[in-house]
Amino acid sequence: MAVRELSSLEKYLGLKKPNKYSTQGDKKNNNGPPLAGLATIAHQLVKEAERPELLGDTAESRAVVHQWLEYSVTKLDSYTKEDIKIILKDLSLYLLDKVYLAGNQFTVADTLMYYGIHPVMVDLTIQEKERYVTVTRWFDHIQHHPGVRQRLPPVLIHRNRIYMADTIEI
Amino acid sequence: MAAGTLYTYPENWRAFKAQIAAQYSGARLKVASTSPAFTFGQTNRTPAFLNNFPLGKVPAYQGDDGFCLFESNAIAHYLSNDALRGATPQAAAQVLQWVNFADSEIIPPASAWVFPTLGIMQFNKQATEQAKEDVKRALTVLNQHLNTRTFLVGERVSLADISVACSMLWLYKQVLEPAFRQPYSNVTRWFVTCVNQPEFKAVLGEVKLCEKMAQFDAKKFSEMQPKKDTPPKKEKAGKEAAKPQEKKEKKKEEKKPAPEEEMDDCDAVLAAEPKTKDPFAHLSKSTFVMDEFKRKYSNEDTLTVALPHFWEHFDREGYSIWYSQYKYPEELTLTFKSCNLITGMFQRLDKLRKNAFASVILFGTNNDSSISGIWIFRGQELAFTLSEDWQIDYESYDWRKLDSDSEECKTMVKEYFAWEGDFKHVGKAFNQGKVFK
Repeated sequence: MAVRELSSLEKYLGLKKPNKYSTQGDKKNNNGPPLAGLATIAHQLVKEAERPELLGDTAESRAVVHQWLEYSVTKLDSYTKEDIKIILKDLSLYLLDKVYLAGNQFTVADTLMYYGIHPVMVDLTIQEKERYVTVTRWFDHIQHHPGVRQRLPPVLIHRNRIYMADTIEI
Repeated sequence: MAAGTLYTYPENWRAFKAQIAAQYSGARLKVASTSPAFTFGQTNRTPAFLNNFPLGKVPAYQGDDGFCLFESNAIAHYLSNDALRGATPQAAAQVLQWVNFADSEIIPPASAWVFPTLGIMQFNKQATEQAKEDVKRALTVLNQHLNTRTFLVGERVSLADISVACSMLWLYKQVLEPAFRQPYSNVTRWFVTCVNQPEFKAVLGEVKLCEKMAQFDAKKFSEMQPKKDTPPKKEKAGKEAAKPQEKKEKKKEEKKPAPEEEMDDCDAVLAAEPKTKDPFAHLSKSTFVMDEFKRKYSNEDTLTVALPHFWEHFDREGYSIWYSQYKYPEELTLTFKSCNLITGMFQRLDKLRKNAFASVILFGTNNDSSISGIWIFRGQELAFTLSEDWQIDYESYDWRKLDSDSEECKTMVKEYFAWEGDFKHVGKAFNQGKVFK
């Protein structure tokens, strides 16, 4: 699945020469040694595209970007139903006071998290989307970010709250 | 693409709106805020300026093509691009909705609350409390809206975010301390995100959120006031603003016309009141200024500032100090009821406020308590006999006039004003205090 996410990222970055990936997500670099691992390759792609701001604009947010890339790799590669609940709780707590995953700007962490969590969001019921309202808000914002969604189906977000008045369950 | 000059005084949040919009749209905007290009109070009074901008107010915009605009929202709108203005009729209308929301729901209470803390407006406790409530209401609306949204309109920054965020700059910088803003976490998240966007940052610099709620700055306020004996409003328009002091005065007027007018009405009512019927009219003027002491007491530390001020200025001829004790302590049951007894008395004595001050304390616990207090009145007699409106409660208390030179009086005043000390004569622990001011 890392392969699919990396191709999406490549497309988002507008890289002309698509790289080749093996099923393990290894990248056969077009001009250089082969690279392995989603986070490493994502870094490399962003650098190739000359969009350094997507890796974070301060040392702190660069570290946070890395943290969430790693989170995507370890938590969103394969998960059980129980894992999903934990992931959504993690994220909704984290996003309580944040608009983006790292710092105050859109970064590659948001992109890859979006690709990673998209299958989860598609399957959420309206009620669940309300329960994890901060994740839903974040997700809706990212899927509207120009060029990110590509061919993925948009996830419908309801603004009107049906089940919960204004409480956020975390 | 628009290109032109924005006239303003420095650090004007109204001008910020236009400047940030220009950052987003790429409009080429020169800012004239310092001499020689623009001197506030002078340039905007020149005939040339008034010819283009009849109000003489800033911010004002003049395009390189000669196109002139006043009113900050219009300028910001003009300097925006379509994305900022809202691309569809619906979005554009929503943007307008929030721009107006900022002007009518946020700015008036924000000014009433923040300006006294900056020393550019007199402190008025009731006005400040009312403003806090109004700010809370606006924050609640915003918080609710931002619960499911990242930005105010659509999924990207618009003029709505620029306007509302700029209108809240002073609130977040001066008074919205962490505890106060805690229930409005969606608003804070949105605000922090906005002011940290590169386009905002380029104009605002680093915005540091308030850590401790700023209080009224009496010293700064008095420094910024023009001399006392001149009538404060009219002469400003007459003379040219050569003196820096007057310039600041003018600036304040520029910033918040609404609250100042309200203040005037308020003052007028207060001023008119004693003329109708003043129970203390027979007394000669006193040197002790009650309001000044009350301000010190309310706004500054009691032991280090308010008490020394009190003893330094207290006028024993014009005022007297009294000890009051509730006659029927055995009837006091639940503490909250006892407190209502005290505050109820204060309410019924409302018209006495100008000429009295009191700190009344409830001691002890439920079913074992007593009430006593220290009162300062105009004159040498118990003030309650002067008006029949004041006679409901006082007979339930024993009253003893204190000799202001005595040690006993000094100790009691200190303990009762500060709500701490031994309270040796009471024999029960301090429960809570109420202040009549």
